Amino acid sequence: MRYPLIITNAAQMHIKYKLILPLVFLLSGIMLYPFIFSLWLSLQDYRLTRINDVQFVGFENFGFIATDQSFLNAMGNTISFVASAVIFELILGLSLALLIQKLVIFKGLVRSILLAPMFITPIAVGLMFRFLLNSEIGIIPFYLLRVGVSLDWFGPELALFSIVLIDVWQWTPFMLLMFLAGLEALPKTPFEAARVDGAGRWLTFFSITLPMLRPVIVVALIIRALDAFKVFEYVFAITRGGPGNSTETIMYYIYQTGFRFFRMGEAAAASILLIIFILVFVILIVNLSRPKVIK
Amino acid sequence: MIVSFENRLSRFLGTTAIFIAIILVLFPFFWIFLESIKPPSLGGRPDIWRFEPSWENWGEIVFNSNVPLNILNSFFIALITVVISLICGAPAAYAFSRFRGFQGARYSILAAEMMPPAILILPLFLLLYKLELIDSRVGVITAHLTFVVPVVTWFLIGFFDEVPKDLEDQAMIDGYTRFQAFYKVILPVVRPGLAAAGIFGFVLSWNDLFYSLLLTGAESRTLPVAIAGFWTFRGIELGKMAVAILIAVIPVLILSYSIQKHLIRGIGGSGVKY
Amino acid sequence: MGRVDFKNLRKSFGSTNIIDGLNLEIYNSEFLVLLGPSGCGKSTTLRLLAGLETVSSGTISIDGCDVTELEPRDRDIAMVFQNYALYPTMTVEQNMGFGLKAKKMSPKLIKEKVNEVADLLGLTHLLNRKPNALSGGQQQRVAIGRAIVRKPKVFLFDEPLSNLDANLRLEMRAEIMKLHRELGATTIFVTHDQEEAMAMADRIVIMDKGLIEQVGTPTEIYFQPKTRMVAGFIGNPSMNFIKGEISNNSELKLPIGNIKVNTTLNLGEHVDVGIRPEKIKLADLKRKPNENIVRVMVTNIELLGPRAIVKTEHESGQVLTSVVDHDDIGKYELGTNISISLASNSLHIFPKIKD
Repeated sequence: MRYPLIITNAAQMHIKYKLILPLVFLLSGIMLYPFIFSLWLSLQDYRLTRINDVQFVGFENFGFIATDQSFLNAMGNTISFVASAVIFELILGLSLALLIQKLVIFKGLVRSILLAPMFITPIAVGLMFRFLLNSEIGIIPFYLLRVGVSLDWFGPELALFSIVLIDVWQWTPFMLLMFLAGLEALPKTPFEAARVDGAGRWLTFFSITLPMLRPVIVVALIIRALDAFKVFEYVFAITRGGPGNSTETIMYYIYQTGFRFFRMGEAAAASILLIIFILVFVILIVNLSRPKVIK
Repeated sequence: MIVSFENRLSRFLGTTAIFIAIILVLFPFFWIFLESIKPPSLGGRPDIWRFEPSWENWGEIVFNSNVPLNILNSFFIALITVVISLICGAPAAYAFSRFRGFQGARYSILAAEMMPPAILILPLFLLLYKLELIDSRVGVITAHLTFVVPVVTWFLIGFFDEVPKDLEDQAMIDGYTRFQAFYKVILPVVRPGLAAAGIFGFVLSWNDLFYSLLLTGAESRTLPVAIAGFWTFRGIELGKMAVAILIAVIPVLILSYSIQKHLIRGIGGSGVKY
Repeated sequence: MGRVDFKNLRKSFGSTNIIDGLNLEIYNSEFLVLLGPSGCGKSTTLRLLAGLETVSSGTISIDGCDVTELEPRDRDIAMVFQNYALYPTMTVEQNMGFGLKAKKMSPKLIKEKVNEVADLLGLTHLLNRKPNALSGGQQQRVAIGRAIVRKPKVFLFDEPLSNLDANLRLEMRAEIMKLHRELGATTIFVTHDQEEAMAMADRIVIMDKGLIEQVGTPTEIYFQPKTRMVAGFIGNPSMNFIKGEISNNSELKLPIGNIKVNTTLNLGEHVDVGIRPEKIKLADLKRKPNENIVRVMVTNIELLGPRAIVKTEHESGQVLTSVVDHDDIGKYELGTNISISLASNSLHIFPKIKD
C-alpha cells in the first residue's frame, strides 16, 4: 500500500506519520531551522557588536577561517587530542572489560565503580583535576615532588596531555560499557570450540574475540571520537586555551570567536568546517572498518 | 581468588590492575570530599590528612549562597527537558521501530545526536536574544532539547525493538485501535526503558555547561555554570567549590547507578547490532 | 455463525507475491488447518483474515459481510499467537478481560465471564499471576482463554503449539479439539506440522508458494494427493518418486522396468510416479494381478521401534524407501538382494511440471 507524499487531510494520514509528527515539529524548530540559520550566518559579516549592520560576504568567512593560524592550530590541537584520547580509552576500556569478565567476585561492584566517571558533570571533573594537579595546592604534584619528580601539568609542554588524561579518566568508562555489552552478547560456542582445538589465550583473543567485537569497536570509536571533538569543559575549567594557545580546541575557538570577539559569521563558518571534517571522518572510519569481502 | 586466570602471575597482575583502576577512580572523589570538610583555614594544603572535620563549607553553600537556586534551576530545566523529550520521542521511536520506510530516519536521529553544539549555539543564541529569552529557563530548555531529544529517541527505538510485534497485533484483535495498542499495551511494557532513557536524558541536561554558560544569567544559572565560577571570581574558594562539585555529582551518580543495566542495552543495544 | 470467504486474494510486498490469487470457502463450525512449508503464505493468509496485513487485491468476507477494509477490532475474530503474546504487565485476569474491556463491558460482567472461562480451562488459581510466572503450557491456556472469552465468530491459531514440548503439545492438541467440539466455533489453524494437521483437521488446505495446492479431508489429502507437491509433502517418510515416461497408452517406462497403468496421459509425456513407502511389500511367491516385481538391494535399515525404514537401491541407481513392520524385519538383510512388489493401484502418477 502506498501513501501519497503530500497529505492534505490529517484524519486520513497514516498513523505512522501522526506518531512522528511531534518529533518532526520539535526537531525542525530547534535543530533544522538553527542549522539553516547557521549556513546563512556563515555567509554574512555578522557581528554582535554591530547587529544592525549585517552584510553578505559570500565565502569570505570561510577564506578567513581556513587561513587563520589560530583556527588551524585549534584544529591541530583537537585532532591530536581526539586521536590520543580515543586510542588510550579504546585500549584501556577493552583491557578493563576483559579483566572484569574474568572477575569471580565483586563483579557488579567493580563495574559500577569503574563506570561512575562517565556520568559526572564534566566541568566538575575539570575543576577536580585542576585542583588535584595544581602545582601549588595539588596533591599529585606535591607527592611527586617528594619522590623527586617535578612536573608542571598545565605548563606549555604537558597541558594538552593533561587534558587528554582527564578525558581518559572520564570517558574510558564509556568504552568499558560498550565492550562489556559487546562481550556479553558474543556467542559462547566459538570460545568453547577454540578451547577444544587447543588455542591459547592470545590466539583466541586475536582470532576470535577481536574480530567478533569489531562492530562494537567501530561504533564505540565513532561515538567517542565525535564526542571528543566537542571537548570544551576541561579547557574552559582549567587552561582557557593556554598556555599560549597550546590547548585551544575547536569548540573553544568557536566559543571565543563568537562570544568573546562577537564575530558570529566567522564562528558559523568554523562550525560548518568542523561538521564537514566530522562527516569525512565518519565516512572514512565506516569504510575502512568494513570487513573485507573475500571473493 | 578474585580473578580467574590459570597462572598465578596473571592472577596477581589482573587483581592489581583492577585495584589500581578502582583507586584511580575513587581517589579524586575522596580527596574532594576531604577538602569539603576541611576547615577553610586549612584549604588547599595537600600535606594535611588529619584535621578536625568542619561542616562550615557545607553550611556556607547550603544557607549562604546561590547554589540552592542553581540546583533548583538545573533540576527544573532537566526535568522539563526530559518530559518534552519523552512526549515527542516515545511515539516517534515506536513508529521508527515498527513501520517500514523509516530506516533513513533512524540514522538521521543518530546524526542529530552527533551534531556539534558549536553549530547550533550561534543561531540559538541569536534567536533567543531577539526573543529576549537569554537568561531564561525556556531558552536553556530549548538548547538542551537539541541533544536530549535525539538521545532519548535513539534509546527508545532499541527498547521498542525488543517488544514482540504480536503484542499490539493481539491488542488490535482484542478490539483496540493502533494508537490505543501503543499507549495501553506497549508503553506499559517499555516503562523501564522510558525510565532509563528519561534518567539518562536528565543526567545529560544536568551536566551541560556549554549551552548554559552562554544562555543563562543570574536568574537562570545552572549548577555547572555556578561551579565554574568558584575558581574564577574572588580568588579560589576551594572548600566551597568542593562542596558544590559533590552536590552536582552525587545525584547524578545515584541516578545513573539505577539505570546501569538498561544503559548497556540503550547505548550498546542499538549500537551493537549495527 | 462464522463462514469465511476468500475471493481472489492477493498480497504482495514490492514485486514478490506472498499470496497469489487465493480462493477458499471456510464453512461454519469447521476446523480448518492451513498446512505448508515455511514461506508458503499460510501465516500471511491468517494475518490477512485477522486484518493485521492489508490486502493487495481481492476480498475477504465473514458471514457474507465484506471485511476486507475493516480494522482487526471490527472483524469479530480472536487469535492465538505462536508466542502467546500475553501482555506482560497485566495479570492473567486482566489479560483475559482486556478484549471485553475494549467493548466497554461492565467490570462485573467481565469478571463473571473471565471466571467462567478460567474455570473451563482450569486457570482459576492462576488469575492473579503475571504471565512470566506461568509455565509454557499455562501461558498457552491463558492465550486460548483470552480468545474464548470474547466468543468471536472465528478463532485463528498461528502455530500455537510449536513452542511446547512434545508431551504438552499432544495434551494441548486434544484440549483444543475438545474445546472446538464444545464451542462449535469456526477455527482456522496454521501449522507446518503435518501430523498435527492430520489429527485435528476437518479439512486441510495445503499451500505452497502463495497458492492452494489441495483442499480436502485428511484422508483425501493422504490417499488422493492431487499434485506432486502434496504427495511429496505429506507422509513420513515421504513418498518415493520415480521419473518416467508414458511409452504407450497404458504402459509406463521407468528405470526399474515397465509398468502397466491406467492413465489418460499422452504418449511421450514425462511423469513422476509416486509410491508410499508403506505400500512397498516383499514379493510373495505367488504372483498377483497388477503386481510389479522389482529386484533391489538393501542398503540401509533404520529401526524405529514398532517399524523400520528400509532403504533399497535398484541397479539403475533408483532408491526406494519402504516401511516395514518390526515382525518382518528379519526378512531384510543388509547388502542382500530382495524382490519387492509395487501394486499398480497404489501408484500415483503426476505429469512433470514444465517450466
